[in-house]
Formats: sequence, structure tokens, C-alpha cells
Amino acid sequence: MKFSKLIFLFVLCFSLTSCYEKLDFDQLDNYVYEPIFTSSLTSFTLVPGQFFNSQGVQENSIVDETRFEIFEANIVKDNVVQLDFYAEIKNEFDRDVTINIDFLDDNDREIYTFSTINVRSGELNFTYLEEIEISQNPDIVNVTKVKIEASLENTGTQMNPNSTEEFEFKSSVTAYIKTKL
Amino acid sequence: MKKIIFFIILLITIKMSSQNKQVLYDFADLPQTLLLNPAIEPSYKLHVGLPFLSGVSSNIGSSNFKLTDIFANDGRNINDKISSVINSISSRDFVAINTQIEIINAGFRLRDNYYINFGFYQEIDAIGYFPRDLLVFFNEGNATNLNRPFSASHIRYKFDYLGVLHAGISKKINDKLSVGGRLKIYSSSINLQSNNNTGTFTTVNGQNSVYRHVFSNVNVNLLTSGLIENNEYVDDAKSIVKNTFFGSNANVGLGFDFGLNYKISDQLQFSASLLDIGFITYKNNVKNTRIRGDHIFEGVEFEYDANSNIDYWGQIDEAFKDQLPNTEDEVAYTSFRPVKLNAALKYSFGEQRRLLCYDDVYKDYYTDALGVQLFNVFRPLSPQLALTAFYEKAISKKTRSKITYTIDDFSYANIGFGFSTQVSKLNFYALVDNILEFSNLSSANSISFQLGFNLIFN
Repeated sequence: MKFSKLIFLFVLCFSLTSCYEKLDFDQLDNYVYEPIFTSSLTSFTLVPGQFFNSQGVQENSIVDETRFEIFEANIVKDNVVQLDFYAEIKNEFDRDVTINIDFLDDNDREIYTFSTINVRSGELNFTYLEEIEISQNPDIVNVTKVKIEASLENTGTQMNPNSTEEFEFKSSVTAYIKTKL
Repeated sequence: MKKIIFFIILLITIKMSSQNKQVLYDFADLPQTLLLNPAIEPSYKLHVGLPFLSGVSSNIGSSNFKLTDIFANDGRNINDKISSVINSISSRDFVAINTQIEIINAGFRLRDNYYINFGFYQEIDAIGYFPRDLLVFFNEGNATNLNRPFSASHIRYKFDYLGVLHAGISKKINDKLSVGGRLKIYSSSINLQSNNNTGTFTTVNGQNSVYRHVFSNVNVNLLTSGLIENNEYVDDAKSIVKNTFFGSNANVGLGFDFGLNYKISDQLQFSASLLDIGFITYKNNVKNTRIRGDHIFEGVEFEYDANSNIDYWGQIDEAFKDQLPNTEDEVAYTSFRPVKLNAALKYSFGEQRRLLCYDDVYKDYYTDALGVQLFNVFRPLSPQLALTAFYEKAISKKTRSKITYTIDDFSYANIGFGFSTQVSKLNFYALVDNILEFSNLSSANSISFQLGFNLIFN
């Protein structure tokens, strides 16, 4: 019986000698949150007929635009450090196609203009990547619209408006976030 | 001895889990043991717990994750440590907290065969499973996780802050069997819960676009009661506490405990209980958020139609809201309490002594006892099981001690210790577990304690 009493006293002492390892919660100040989010941006498929106006005359350039509000989210707007624009293009047309892309703000002011993308006739696996450093282009967080102009090479001859050849364009943006808590 | 060794090996090889009061269960005739098994037959005539001090208990546990994993001052990069924790946890791992404070606890003997007891306690009970997919999504983003479905089913949590008014009775049927029951009326102040969610978000390579972002079979329900009133967060602490005392915005529920205690022989005893078989209906200050539907986003598809001025972004926004609506409502809901099961087999041995219980009633008892206990709490995802082996020792007539060895979700080697002593009419008890971790509490997966003062009259 004395032995068992000793055991219990020992355990009691043990339980009274508890301590803890010092934790350093300030380490969270060094935590860098850096996820990478990606999203499809725009896509379109063109056939020659879309380049002809109601009078049946070929127009060598067509334009479309959309709002694109990825910077509405404060976590992106305040913390994005790099934006990658990526495009996959297929050109079945019998002539080159030039793509001009502009990022615009609410007042249609050009905030960022991409290098002209020239896709040669018959190029079926064209890819394009442009990396935008936000520190070099701080205004880009004010972008709310994307405008894409597709222009045909002027070969001197009109395309066949009934042709089923296609020009395909697909794009995405990737936002690199980097921030401390 | 062989049987004991076999049993220990069995314990080590079976992974089980818990969040329980294994040291307190059926220990030293404490009045608080009646809350764990209403059939326990006390040996005294009357007890009164010291208000607010009769029973204070708390346990916090985290499976597969310790504070030191992230916050130890070990020179490792904090980003690496957080990533390592996220990669090591699964959606079945959880953090659980349970705290109870007894406001009132009293009992008295009614004739020889009945013991009536009643009281009121406040409880905070919370469990949150690690939403692993959500953590990975926000920590890494989707760009490096193409084709990986992020599941909303990982969102599982429940938080309750409530008061419990209870009254119980234990009845000695005969020399071998006693049974007991308890009626509980719950007064919940705050409840937050989300469970049985479905749905995935996956980014895959597209055909007509670079990526397809697919929300599939989404059904997420975030239920709250007592948190938001008139579209503003309730921040009046007084009214939050008042609602645990059946205040005007309390959500009321009903529950029962049942127990039995059977002496198989003079030295062998089996006991079992089912606690908190009950529910609470939440209808005051309810604010639920629900997201349901399927949606695929592939970016903006230009049409290059000079004759129309299409608002592409507006269409996408509308389609998103139509197909994956985020709605709010104030619909009442019912939530079942987490039912707990206790069962124990206790073998008493050693020196036989006689204890004066009350009046001229005596009770024989042995100085030592060995046994096993099973605990199970039915949680949203799966039962939390714990298996305990214990040794109980009566050091003197008024002082008892108990050592437990528990295997649960938090630890394979949780050693607990408790003692109860009485000076004149004043009883004091203190129970702790996981004492092996006391050398470094920061690295413990779980810690729990119970302590309190009672006045006991024979």
C-alpha cells in the first residue's frame, strides 16, 4: 500500500511541475501569403464572314471589348505583384492576323497596351505569354476593361465570306499574390 | 499479468479518439460523476456544490496538430511550417473545445433508494474540422492545382454556447442494479454550424477557352442563431450571457441522460450511460446563408457583332448569380446535441473497508480498483472514441486517487491523474489528463482539467 501511495505522490509532484515551451507567435509577421490564381479571360472563334459588313465589303479590322473586373477583389488589387497574360491561337485563314490587346480603365483610357501579336497564316499552335510586373506598371490595378482588335493582313484580295476556315483565340490571366498578414 | 500485457498491446494497436472526462467518470463518489452517469449511487445524504466553483472543466484538443508545429522557435521558415501542417492534416482532423462551469449543483437522498440531484451549468462546446481543401486553395491558389477538385464538404463545424438546467434521479433497484435518468432543458444563446455540405470547385483545361472553372453540385449551408440581430452582429455580452439563462432570445431544447450500474459480483461492476439525447430548436436571431447550384465559367466569349453592344461581363455576373445563388434566410432549424456514450467495467480488490454513508447505513468498499472505460461522442463526421484503462486507489477514507491511460484521436499515451479529498464537510477534487505532456504543454495535442468544491453531508 505504501508503494502505491508513493506512485500517486510522484504523479502528483509530476503534475505540479508542468511547464511549456515558449511559443513565438510573432513569427506570423514573417509569413508571406503568396497564392497564384488563374482564370480564363477571353476567347473567340472567327470565320471570314464576320469580317464582312452589311454591304458585303470586307473590313480588315474588327474590335470587341468587355468589362473584366478582377481587380474588384481587394486581395488582388492590393497585393498582386505579377500578372501573366497567356494566349493560345489557331489561324486557319489564308492570311496573317494581327491581334492588339489593350487594358482600359473605366474612362476607356489605355492603361496597358500589349505588344502586337502577329499570327501567321496556317499557324495552328501559336502561344503568347506576357508577364507584367506590377511594380513597373502600378496603374494596371485600375484596369476594368479588355479590348481586343483582330486585323487581317491586307493581301489585296478579299477572303471568301462563306469559307469555314477559323481563327481561334483563347486567353487567360494569372495573378501572383504576395502579401504579409 | 499476461492479460494486462495483451490488453495494453491491444490498446496500442487500435487507434481511437476522444474528448472526454475519463478521470472523473465514476470517481470517488463525486457529485459531478452523476452528470456522467445518472445511475451512480452516491454514498452520502446530501450535497451542495459551491456556486460557480463546484465544477469547472475544460478540455481542448487538436488531432494531428500542435501549437509547436507552427509556433516553436526553431529557426524554420514559417511558410514552410504552415505548408507542412496543411499537407499533413486531413479533413478528418479537428480542433475541439468543451468547457463547463457549474453555477448550481445540489442533491439529496429521498428515502434509502433514491438520490435526487439538480443544477444548472453553462457550456461551450465547439468542434471544427480542418477545411483542408479550402486551406490549400487560399494558401496555394488554383494555378498550381489544375484538375484538383476543392471540396466544400470539408467545411464542417459546430459551436454552441448554452446553459443547461437539469434534474436527475438515481434509483437503487436492488443490491445489484441501480438506474438513473436526467432531464435537461437547454437554453442556447449562440449556435453556429455547417455540416453535410457538398460541391466542388475545379479548374480544368478547356476546349473553347484556356480553362474551365467548374462549380459542381454545390450545396453549402451556414447556419447561425444568436449571432446576428437586425443584420448587425450581437455584441452585447450581457444579453449573450442572459440568453443562456432562458433570456428573451434564448433557443430552448430538451434532452435526457440515462444510466445504469450493475454489480456483476461483489468485486466486479459494469456501468454505462448515454448523455445528451436531445435537441435544440433555433428560431431566435437566425441568419442562414446558403449557396446552391452548378456553374461553369470559361471567361468572356467575344462575338464581334458590330450590330450589338453586348454586356458580356453583366451576362456572366447574372449567370453566376442565377446558377449559383447566394441566399440568406431566417428559417428556424433544429440541431441535435452531440450524444455521448460512457461504459465501464471496474474490478475492485485490495483491503476491504467499511464506510459510514449516512444515518446508520454503511457501505463496504475495496481500497483498489482496476478497470476499463469506453467513451464515444457522436460528432458530425464520425464518432470520437476513447478507450481508457484506469487504476483507482483509496489512500484514506476521505482521499481517493485515480490514474488513467487513454488512447484517443489526440494521443496514444494520455495519462491522467485525479484526486479527491474531504476535510470535514468540504470536498475538493482536481483532475487532469495528458500529464506526460506537462513538461511541455505547448506541444500537447490535448489538455483537460476538472476541479471543484462540494459540501458533502452524511
